[in-house]
Amino acid sequence: MIRTATGICVMLIVFCSCAGCTGTTPAASLQPVTPSADDFSTWNLTVNSTTRQVYSLDQIRAFPSTTGHGFAVSTVGIKYGPYICKGVLLTDLLKPSGGIAPGDQVWISAPDGYLWVFDYDQMQGTGFITFNESLKEIPSPPLRILLMYEQDGKPLSYNDGGPLRVAIISDEKGVVTEGSAWVKWVDSIEIKKK
Amino acid sequence: MLLAFFLIALLCISVGCTSDMPQEKTVLKVLPAGSLLQPFDEVEKAFEAQHPDVDVQVEGHGSIQVIRQVTDLHRPIDVVAVADASLIPDLMFRTDSTTGANFTDSYTPFATNAMVIAYTNRSRYADEITTENWGEVLSRTDVRVGISNPMLDAAGYRSIMVTLLADQYYQNSTLFPVLIGSHFTPPLVTEDGDGIVTVRLPEVLRPSDEKLVIRDGSIFVLSHLEAGGIDYAFEYRNVAEGHNLRWINLPQEIDLSSPDYAEEYGKVRVILGFQRFSAIGQDRTGQPIVYAVTIPNSAPNRELAQEFADLVIQMTKSGGKGWPATLN
Repeated sequence: MIRTATGICVMLIVFCSCAGCTGTTPAASLQPVTPSADDFSTWNLTVNSTTRQVYSLDQIRAFPSTTGHGFAVSTVGIKYGPYICKGVLLTDLLKPSGGIAPGDQVWISAPDGYLWVFDYDQMQGTGFITFNESLKEIPSPPLRILLMYEQDGKPLSYNDGGPLRVAIISDEKGVVTEGSAWVKWVDSIEIKKK
Repeated sequence: MLLAFFLIALLCISVGCTSDMPQEKTVLKVLPAGSLLQPFDEVEKAFEAQHPDVDVQVEGHGSIQVIRQVTDLHRPIDVVAVADASLIPDLMFRTDSTTGANFTDSYTPFATNAMVIAYTNRSRYADEITTENWGEVLSRTDVRVGISNPMLDAAGYRSIMVTLLADQYYQNSTLFPVLIGSHFTPPLVTEDGDGIVTVRLPEVLRPSDEKLVIRDGSIFVLSHLEAGGIDYAFEYRNVAEGHNLRWINLPQEIDLSSPDYAEEYGKVRVILGFQRFSAIGQDRTGQPIVYAVTIPNSAPNRELAQEFADLVIQMTKSGGKGWPATLN
């Protein structure tokens, strides 16, 4: 019995030693890793028009939701996606602020200092350049501008631009749009009247 | 029993200590401007051959976006290379609030470039166009012309500058209105004040007809050119060469390549439609094209980064197909 216990101890010591020998596991990883969810409780979105509206993420989620296919490409051809994008249509979100009319523009910005501008035609889903998955230009199918808060069935993480990111969506799969319009970390929208 | 445990222990030792566990490579993150992607692919291969334990990861963006990855997005980047050297002191010689130090304190100009007119064998009038008549050929009503988006790409606003400079250089020239300005509703017009010709762009750059094509990045303009959707594109010389395109060289007085004409280049200005990045304004004034490389103070691998930057400079001096010209 004593010999057996001694043997087990020897085996455990040796096993621990051999685990250490690989030398590839950082010490910190020995601790249980429980990544915390992004905390967006203090985040809000400001919509400025003739009035000023401020929305929490829960209030954004209370709008009717829309889901579509999103796929973006950078200026040098790096593709991001395809994604299943869920969120609120920009046109729906702006209705309580009076909506937009021909000639108006929508300026969307983020705290990292990035700004993008959509005109009335784009708000109607036209005027975008679209590509297939091989990045060959294709005629644009109907598109919509979404403020995405879920990507591929999961809440949009901070690293992916959460809690709210612009996505140009289509009902069709494989429609790639120019990524410059996909503003991450959106926290401000301004309607510029003509 | 003890023998069995001992054998198991020995097996564990042999598995744990002698297996061929791959050693993790050091990742060197390199961010170049889009027009440097092809040459940097060569630098990456050469560097990794010299350093088998290093994985060079090259990620291209527009020049301002390259810098923003460090200054606004706080990513750990080892090497930054841009197509407009002036952006580095403007955007990186300032304090990083997370470290208390500047984003960088120095940079090395290493290359120049020139704007050219790129085309293919199937471009309309490909057998007629020359350095002398390029403006007249591009002005023909059945010829389509492409530029990249000035909001997103330095080559885009430099293309507009070339047309403005051409209108000053050639007598009775109207290239800017004919090629660009008249293809918007309302038309874009020039303003002349203090000896500087200025064009103010609209917030959304969507041409009103098919004469002018604007795409977010050069690769999409060139894709259009190669597919026959446009006949000619304003492009950097090294990019045209790297894509095996034909091109027309322009006079140095207008191609933004020569420091000798810096004063002349400075007489044209493009004001972008909106301030896309809060860190940098909307005004772009003509100046010679100068590429520069820097190592951010937050670079995780400074020594390797310096070696990589040195190799970029060395290989630029050697040159080759698709490389921008070294600085004299």
